[in-house]
Amino acid sequence: MSSLDVRTGPRGGAVRKTETVAHHAPPRNARRRLRNDLVALAFLLPALFCFGYFAWWPLVRGLELSFQQTNLVDPAQWVGLSNFQHVLDDPMLATAVKNTLLFAGLALVIGFPLPLLLAVQMSTLRRLAGLYRYLVYLPVMLPPVVGVLLWQMFYDPDHGLFNKVLGLVGLGPYPWLQSTHSAMLSLVLESTWAGMGSATLIYLAALTRVPPELYEAAETDGARIWRRMWHITLPQLRGTVLLLLLMQLIGTLQVFAEPYLMTDGGPENATVTVLLLIYRYAFIDGDYGAASAMSLLLAAALSLLSAVYLWSTRRWSSS
Amino acid sequence: MHRSSFARAFGLVMACALVGSVAACSSGSGGGSDGKVSITVQGMPPKSDPASRKAFLDRVAAFEKANPKITIKPTDATWDAQTFTAKLAGGSAETVITAPLTEPQGLIARRQVKDLTADLKAWPQYNEYNSKLLAPTKDAATGKVYGLTAPIGTYSMGLVYNRALFAKAGLDPDKPPTTWEEVRQAAKAIHDKTGQVGYAETTTNNTGGWHLTSYTYSRGGTMEKRQGDKYVPAFTGKATTDALQLLHDMRFVDNSMGSNQLQSQMDVQRRFAAGQIGMYTDGPNAVGPIVQQYGGRLKDFGAGALPQDGGNATQLGGSVVMVTARATAAQTSAAVKWILAEYLKPAYDPKEAAKRDKMTSADPKILIGVPRVASFSEQAQQKVNAARKPYVNVPLGNFQPYVDGNAELKLLTEPPVAAQKVYAALDPVVQAVLTKKNADPAALLDKAAQQVSSDLERGQ
Repeated sequence: MSSLDVRTGPRGGAVRKTETVAHHAPPRNARRRLRNDLVALAFLLPALFCFGYFAWWPLVRGLELSFQQTNLVDPAQWVGLSNFQHVLDDPMLATAVKNTLLFAGLALVIGFPLPLLLAVQMSTLRRLAGLYRYLVYLPVMLPPVVGVLLWQMFYDPDHGLFNKVLGLVGLGPYPWLQSTHSAMLSLVLESTWAGMGSATLIYLAALTRVPPELYEAAETDGARIWRRMWHITLPQLRGTVLLLLLMQLIGTLQVFAEPYLMTDGGPENATVTVLLLIYRYAFIDGDYGAASAMSLLLAAALSLLSAVYLWSTRRWSSS
Repeated sequence: MHRSSFARAFGLVMACALVGSVAACSSGSGGGSDGKVSITVQGMPPKSDPASRKAFLDRVAAFEKANPKITIKPTDATWDAQTFTAKLAGGSAETVITAPLTEPQGLIARRQVKDLTADLKAWPQYNEYNSKLLAPTKDAATGKVYGLTAPIGTYSMGLVYNRALFAKAGLDPDKPPTTWEEVRQAAKAIHDKTGQVGYAETTTNNTGGWHLTSYTYSRGGTMEKRQGDKYVPAFTGKATTDALQLLHDMRFVDNSMGSNQLQSQMDVQRRFAAGQIGMYTDGPNAVGPIVQQYGGRLKDFGAGALPQDGGNATQLGGSVVMVTARATAAQTSAAVKWILAEYLKPAYDPKEAAKRDKMTSADPKILIGVPRVASFSEQAQQKVNAARKPYVNVPLGNFQPYVDGNAELKLLTEPPVAAQKVYAALDPVVQAVLTKKNADPAALLDKAAQQVSSDLERGQ
């Protein structure tokens, strides 16, 4: 194998050109290139080491742990698929999967369109645009724990802000987190508030790339805002929309902070999610094998989801 | 780049990697060929509490002087379930740890703590130590002992109440309810006359199941029973069902429990300190967080014994001191010496108890004199109490109903197998009876028992 393989990349033409040059280059130049590449690699090594040690190695260890029973002190025992059997037999698994899907579904319906609508609206503002951008992004800057605890106080059925305000107009009081029917929705509302700032800014940046002539032409033809959005904005932003949709799905299917801090999975397990179950296996039961097995199953499900998603949207995203 | 530059860069990277690896891999063996041994211990008060920290460091120095071959390295780390195993795996867990009473059985089952039986049996006071307090740190199957219950935080579950709200509601603050029926009446009176929550319940982080265990004991029930050579769930009986029915009726018939039913222990303590709660179940040492952390008024804090309905029993609570599994034999012996000197001696030696209080009293914010469960005999406890009397700064009268009531009660410990799993299965049951008007306690308990059966099976 020649040293040129290092440069192989997706752009075939560029590689061919490099190969051509390299084949006819004097040996001294080839050695110099090799040395340069090795120097680059040497500078890359610390990053590779950190990434490998702190990201990839734990992943490999997690895979290993899912087939072991261990107290992390004595030598681990290989237990085959027993950890997988245990988590699949857990009566709480079905509840956790159902709740996680419900959270992801509600977040998709409520949380996904909101940043896009906000971005479109904000892109039309001529004055105080910076202030609005700041206000929308402010929740992202708050530590997640602070945001969650703040909303927990807002949701208090006796003394909370929401019931007090709604009470002024004759509504409520609502149980929010106290009811199995509204607890998950309450978590989604907080999560949407906390996360929409980032997506809004990404959409705003993407909107600057949409040629203004398209809107001017549409306006001339009498298209109203919804038609302009449907026929110009969405097609122009489809790459961004698809990417953010995938990121949202992966993120919401791994929801943890909200149920952990706000409800601890209650009431009556109505907000127990898959990640909360993994947390309980690891840190309440001390069963790292079961926690790793469940994590592996979740990772496999998310990988499959991503693959299916990318395959099913490949035509739209590239057209 | 010249060859020399490349060599330097490559060398630098490799040196960094090596240094990192060595630093990551190194961990003290804790022992030397000269017979000296070094141990790390939890328990040092944080810098925000300078008086207690200084007193602790003075005790470390005195211990090292009395035991010249032992070096103590204290940390202000406290128990953290999320980091403990990782620290243990990485060799950075302290030799001596303290943990809540809910943890030792899991730590023993996972072999993450040392067997201390031999060292403890050599301790002259071992046979005088309250055998009830050994149960949480003992392996019931083998009889081996893995730690001791820390006397300073040992309590039995009781009724914590707001004396000011009692007075406002026309109730006698010196006579808190002693039966569950009286609790119901008092809760209704408090709610009707003050508008505050009469009785509050904790329902998250396994505290709902934990409290339900205490309620079951107070009604003569049990959570697990032996069937053949195995333990099986036993919380589907009348005692637990009646306890749940009472909570349901206080919530939906009397409306004396407020609307917020998804609360952790911290949530309830914070609201109690703010004067929003009349009564709840906790130990008398809850006065610490309520007054010091959440700003509640000391004079309003009252503690009674756990109300009863035929069980004449209460549940042990507190924390334990243990030695982590990576300790060598020499470190284990040194750690036991430290545990006995630091934690146990003040519980049986009146002079040591008075000395500690004298040092601690330098900071008036630290509460001295909160009743504890006797770690040794009642006579020994009374001698210790007498020695501590000059330094007591809590109104002892506020705790007298707790002291008087407890004298009559049996002290029971947590369910013997997979207690945390039992509590986790019962949290949703307690939540259901407090959030659903049509909840059926018996059916909910049956479902929880089915769910927890396999966990009990797996835990034996």
